Parts: sequence; C-alpha cells; structure tokens
Amino acid sequence: MISIQLILLIIFGLAAIWFGWRVFMTSSMVRSALSLLGSMVAIGILFLVMEAEFLGVLQIMMMGTEMSIMAIFMMMYMMDPGGLGNMDMSHQKNVSIVAGVAVTILITGAALFADWGIIATQVPSAHEQNRLLGMEILKRSMMIFETAGVTILTGMIASIAVALSIKKSMEK
Amino acid sequence: MELLITALIIAAVLFGIGLYGALSQTNLVMIMMGIELMLGAAMINLVAFWRYLHPEAFSLQMFVLVAMTVMALEGAVGFAIATQRFRTSGTVEMEESAELKG
Amino acid sequence: MTPFLSGFIITLLFVGGVYFVAVLERCSMTGNVSWSGPARSFLLLFAQEEIKTRKHDKVFFETAPILFIGVILLTISILPFGRGSVIIDLGTGALFINAALVYVMVSLLMAGWAVNGVYAMIGGWRALAQLIAYSMPVVMVLTATVMRAESMFLTDIVESQQSLWNILYQPVGFILFYISALAIAFLPPFDLPVAEGELAGGVWADLTGARKLLFRLGRLTLVLTLSAAVVVLYLGGWMGPWLPGFVWTFLKTLLVAASFFAIGRYMPRIRHDHLLEYNWKYGVPLALYNIFQVGVVLLL
Repeated sequence: MISIQLILLIIFGLAAIWFGWRVFMTSSMVRSALSLLGSMVAIGILFLVMEAEFLGVLQIMMMGTEMSIMAIFMMMYMMDPGGLGNMDMSHQKNVSIVAGVAVTILITGAALFADWGIIATQVPSAHEQNRLLGMEILKRSMMIFETAGVTILTGMIASIAVALSIKKSMEK
Repeated sequence: MELLITALIIAAVLFGIGLYGALSQTNLVMIMMGIELMLGAAMINLVAFWRYLHPEAFSLQMFVLVAMTVMALEGAVGFAIATQRFRTSGTVEMEESAELKG
Repeated sequence: MTPFLSGFIITLLFVGGVYFVAVLERCSMTGNVSWSGPARSFLLLFAQEEIKTRKHDKVFFETAPILFIGVILLTISILPFGRGSVIIDLGTGALFINAALVYVMVSLLMAGWAVNGVYAMIGGWRALAQLIAYSMPVVMVLTATVMRAESMFLTDIVESQQSLWNILYQPVGFILFYISALAIAFLPPFDLPVAEGELAGGVWADLTGARKLLFRLGRLTLVLTLSAAVVVLYLGGWMGPWLPGFVWTFLKTLLVAASFFAIGRYMPRIRHDHLLEYNWKYGVPLALYNIFQVGVVLLL
C-alpha cells in the first residue's frame, strides 16, 4: 500500500540525505553550512509529514538561526572566501567510509528485522498535541525540562568562560 | 509498517553520513556539523517512534525537545572551544592540536 | 458573501495594500506623494539589464530572492483577515510567524554572500546579527499572546481580544513587537543591512533587474505582513463596528504601515553596536518581564 505520506517521506528523506551529503562534498564553507541547513529543514518537514506539527515548526525555526551562526563561524575561522580555493580537509578517509557504511547497514538491519508490533494510525490533532505536550512538560516531565533549562544556563556560562580572552585577564 | 521502516532507514543513512563526516573532517566546525547530522537522525527516529508506535506517549516529544537542547548546547560550547583554539593557535584544524598527546 | 468572492476581494485589497506601502515608502524618502512612482520604478526594474558580478555563487544568486519572497508569502497565508477568511489555519500559527521570519535572514545572508562583493557581504553579516537579535523578543512576546489566548491558532488569539485589545493588556509586549517588526523588516531607523549612506545599498548593492525587483517587492510585502501581524496580535484583528471584518483589518494594517514609515522618516539611523546593545540588554529582559506580567494577570 503506497500512501501520500510514504511518498512525501521518501521525497523529503532523499532531500535530507542529499543535502547532508553535500555538506562534506563542497569546499565552500558557507555552502556547506547552508547545505546542513537544507538537510535540517528537510528533517523538519519530515516531522511535519509525520504529523508532529509543533516539533517540525520548532525544528525549522531553530535550525535557521543555528546554521546561519555556523556559517559566520566557518567564515571567521576558515579564511576561505567563496570556496574559490580547492583544499582537502579530510583525514582517515577509508576508516571513516567503512565506519559510516557499517553503521548504516547495522541500523538498517536492526530496523528491518525488529518486531515493531502494532502500528498506530491515529494521532491527536495539532492543537490537541500542543496541549498534551504542555501537560507533559509541566506535569510529569517538569523535572527533566527544568534540568534542560539549567543545562542551558550551565552551557552559556561554560561557553563564555571558555571563549574569554586569556590575554586581557593576564594584563591586569 | 513500511512508513516506520522508511523513516528509520532515512535516519540510518543520515547517521552514517554524519559519522563519516565527524570522523573524516579535520576542521572543528565541520566535525560539529557531522555531530549535528547524527543528532538530527536520532530526532527523526524519536519522532517516527512517537508517530507510529506510541502516539499517546508525549514523553517521546519531550525527548525530542531535550535533543534539540543538546544540539543548541553542542553548538554554543563547540564554538566557544573553536574561538579559544583560534585565539591560542590561530587555526581550528584538529590535525594540529596534539598538545594532549603524551 | 461567497468564499470565492471574499477571497478575490482580499487578494485585490492586498495588492492594493502593497502598492500603497510602496507609495508610502517613496513618500518617507522624498517627502512628496507620487502615485505613479512605484509603477514607474517597477517598469524600470522590469526592463533593466541584468548585471552579474564576477565569480558569483550561482545557486545562491538565483535562489535567494525566491526564498525571500516565498517565506513572506507563507507568512501571509497564515494570517487571518476576517472571521473565517484565512488561507491556512495552522495549529502552531504563532510559532510559524517567527519560523518564517528567520528565513528572511537566511535569504539576506545568501544574497549578501552570493554576489561576491564587499558591501553586500558586510550587509549580509549585519542582517544576520540584527535579525537573530530581534527574533528573540519576537518569539518571547508571541509566547505572551499565546498565553492569553491559551491556543496557538491566530484566529483564537484574535478572539481572545474580544474584551480588551492586547495593546492595552500587554503594552510592553506591543512596544517590543513593534520595534522588532521595524528591525526585522529593516526599515529606516534599523536599515543597516541595506543602508544607502554607509554601505551604498548593502545587500542589494550589486543586484539589478528581476532579482532586485523581487527583493524590493518582497520587502514591501514584508512590511505589509508585519503590520498585519501587529494588527492580528495586538490591535484586535478584524474587530470593529459597522464595517465588515476584513476592511477593518486592512484599515488598521495600513495605519500601522504608515506609522512605520513615519518613524523611519524622523529617526536617524541607529549605530550597529547600539542596535545590538539595546536589544540584548533591554529588549530581552523586558520581553521576559512581559511574560511574567501576563502570567500574573492571568492568574489573578
């Protein structure tokens, strides 16, 4: 049985894979960051196809910002204007290819041969999902959510502390 | 069934590409891109399990939110480390950072 | 009225609204009202030679203007113009506005990068800093309106303002959203990415012909969209006596757009560091305060 959902899954899945592949196949920094953005947006659309509307829109929104920031950091550190230079930035290629292919085959095998049980057909509507997710966050998973918040705070402090210039503090 | 398996195979291929990137690239920011791809694949898996196995369990969606947090944090801390490497050694090539090698 | 007829009228009003915004923009720059001006510059850009810069990035050069106008049209399609007249009523509409506006930034970044010119690239990076900074308060004040409506449907947000418009219920949020809308549409006090005076046109400096036309048209539509978003979120949407709903929406939208341009005419351009400093130091804490205030009022 081929449904519209399956066709959309395959189309956007292939788009995600293609963009993901482009990330490591281009020599321009901005191009690879924006390819990653394309891959992430395709993943967000996959979420939308799988009827997780809130998560899909959230993914598309967050990744737009994050990958643009990645593009500017790539520019800052790579000194590679416009991908005009053609340099190779990879090592241990064979090992990586073997690892990538092996892991893909392993996971695919696990997915194919596992017994998944009954497949659900009905999901709550988008509005109902928002409500239920809110209930989940604020009731049962509140502790986890707060931990995530505190982790973000820790991450902010840690990243500022790491990125601070050493020279200035030594001068004083 | 084929919907779930399609989603899982897409995630597996993305994970493989991400792993290849994270292992083969020499640039810190490119390695981070590989890790982001792997996390994205994990998120596809989580959403697929939610949609096709347990649509009533919203802790799965919660898990995706936590994965997104991890992604953002990985970005922030990774860029901080990259900035510091760039300040001290003028490059973010990981081939040239062997100070911890005994 | 049949849905088809009202859809036709809304499209017509929308095109008219874009034209009116174009007249307003010219008026805010030159000071005199010229009704045929936008049509003439449209024809000019339509027939202009398409100059391509040396070693431009082909993919981004072609896709950036289309992405720019595409995301703006997506944003319009979820905004309700009247009771029941909305193209797509998304269950996550309020979040979707911000998600679409982020891609305005991405397309500016792509356009600035693609033409392979210094001014354009600086404009693109400026757009990145400015739009990231100002999408933070936007998403926070949107959260406050969603809290009041207890729903992410934009129609529900309008319905929640039946007793009291959000502009009075959460004035801090309104001010923040208004300023952020100016910054996101990079209108004159915040027009750093395309600054005429210091960057000679910034992102658009090296674009000509159809691409520039798409960008200019997209910006005019963006102004109209953001004004409509202000109306839907804070000014009671279609509510008003006597006239049908969508007429009220359009009247309010055009008034808000006119106020945008009036501010642009009388304010000097803000320095880039001030722009970021004001937002991160005052805008974001105020947005958090706004969420707190709305929460307290809701609980009382």
